[in-house]
Amino acid sequence: MRQAEDLILRDYVVSAASQINAGGGSNGDNPTNLGLTDFSLVATTLDTNNAYKFMSGIEGMDKFGTGPVRSAYFMLSSTELQSDFDALGSNGSISFLSQWQYPTNASALPSEYGSVANTRILTSSEAPVARGASDLGSDVYYNTVLGKQAITHINQDGFSMNLIYRDPYYSGMLAQNATLAVKFAQAQAITQDTAIRNLLSTRNSSLGV
Amino acid sequence: MTEYSRMAKGKFTSTGGAQIINLPFQPDYVEFTNYTASAAFTDHRVLSAQWDVNMGQGFAITQVKNTTYQTDSVILNGVSTFSAGLLLQFGARQQVVSSTKADPASFEVTGHGFTSGDVVMFQGLYSTQFTAGMPQMDGIPFTVTVTDANNFTVPWNSNQSNYTALAASPSGAFVKKVLYPYLYAPGVSFISAITTGTTTTIDTTDAHNYVVGQEIAIRMPDVVGNTPVAAWGDARYNSLPNNSTPGSPVYAYVIAVTDYNTFVCNINSTGYAAYNSNIAVANVPGLSYPQVVAVGDVNTGGVQLSSGSALYPPPYVSPIGTTRVNSINGPAIQGAYFNNTSQGFIIGAGLNVTDTAAVLVGANGNVIYWRAFLHDMSLPS
Repeated sequence: MRQAEDLILRDYVVSAASQINAGGGSNGDNPTNLGLTDFSLVATTLDTNNAYKFMSGIEGMDKFGTGPVRSAYFMLSSTELQSDFDALGSNGSISFLSQWQYPTNASALPSEYGSVANTRILTSSEAPVARGASDLGSDVYYNTVLGKQAITHINQDGFSMNLIYRDPYYSGMLAQNATLAVKFAQAQAITQDTAIRNLLSTRNSSLGV
Repeated sequence: MTEYSRMAKGKFTSTGGAQIINLPFQPDYVEFTNYTASAAFTDHRVLSAQWDVNMGQGFAITQVKNTTYQTDSVILNGVSTFSAGLLLQFGARQQVVSSTKADPASFEVTGHGFTSGDVVMFQGLYSTQFTAGMPQMDGIPFTVTVTDANNFTVPWNSNQSNYTALAASPSGAFVKKVLYPYLYAPGVSFISAITTGTTTTIDTTDAHNYVVGQEIAIRMPDVVGNTPVAAWGDARYNSLPNNSTPGSPVYAYVIAVTDYNTFVCNINSTGYAAYNSNIAVANVPGLSYPQVVAVGDVNTGGVQLSSGSALYPPPYVSPIGTTRVNSINGPAIQGAYFNNTSQGFIIGAGLNVTDTAAVLVGANGNVIYWRAFLHDMSLPS
């Protein structure tokens, strides 16, 4: 039911927020696939711009296979990039940490896939993808990294969303069809343009589809 | 069986070009009458036409005055429906045949089918894969200015040392149309040129859709591998970090709008490094582009509908030149973000198959009455 709202907000952010092309990957495309340095770069940019992080860190615990998690911004990504995240590896103190490797999952969101440096990654099949739009004709993924104060979603006219159902008796003289609809009135705004970046990337070509 | 059908009717005065009709649905049947042509009953005019979705997009059946009253058809640029609701939709890929080094950059694409104001995106503009060509122009939107049926230009200077002309249909060099480039406006725009001075003139690759009074910010990214790193332009354009007042974004206001892709802002860029789009091909992987974005929730660009009126006209986009295309929105403050999503149908400027002088959408000034339907029951044949 929230999908229509999400798609509108998604396209608005793609249209209005500035972009950084990933350059830390190795596939030779523009943008490249995601590399660990891209996460550092975008987090550094947001930190320099005084963006607020969404989540405080998770302290390390004495549990096998887990690691501490930094305080973090959210990055909204496509589920199609999940294998890329798994293949990120590590570089010094930076590495991909799966959500199931957090010391505790108490603060993890259902769609959270993991974290890299100061970003925690949420994945969705509805994340924006420009098919065949890269330098070499590959799909370009819009990974939106945002601070807490970056965007807002305003429900207008005193209501958020109405789910409307009219059974067949009320939907037509012949009572043949029911009516199911969603009605909402909303507006979106980027409240702080310096606290949001679309990190564009392609996929690691060696991982297949 | 028609309780969920939808019907709409209306009229417009033809400009001679394709006419977009916005509706709250996508019709599966359209019919219209050219009142002006019917009343005058002159030769080579479409008097009326019908289109059914089962004919296919871009078709129509017509009734034409071609010395005698007769039936005819349109099989290209006829009636079609559209749903401009989602971004990042593209038309079919077309092979780039060649490109000469020029400012603006010129491209040859056989039978491209674009019209001036369309937005396109390139990929694979290499004359020699990964070492030479014009890949600096890949992956960002450009507004097309049509030269002829096979050639067009885009606002970018490719007449520079790091660019190599393309010839003989390079493998992998394609262009495709961005179907709905301005669903949310004003959006992020890519910078193609900057003129420094006491005020700063900025050219963008596609329509910026700004108005006078618009507040803007500039992103001037580094070019990885270059020394000095800020090869696109002076780092002082960046809204952050502000080297003079840390933590205070550098914003500017639009003080003049020249045309669809040129505006003047109140940044005093005297002494700033010149803008440089002569990026080496080797630096293209991972290359980020300079951008300008609209910021702020209060814009002073409001223009009253008429003197003394409390109303503002609907927000508009400006796809080419100084042309203004109103959105379907109601009155709004100019310069504020607005949603430009829409759906409906288009009556194209296609020619009839038999009477090739008769244009579907009529001549400039013709008054056309139309009706559109979306049936809730459509039986197969």
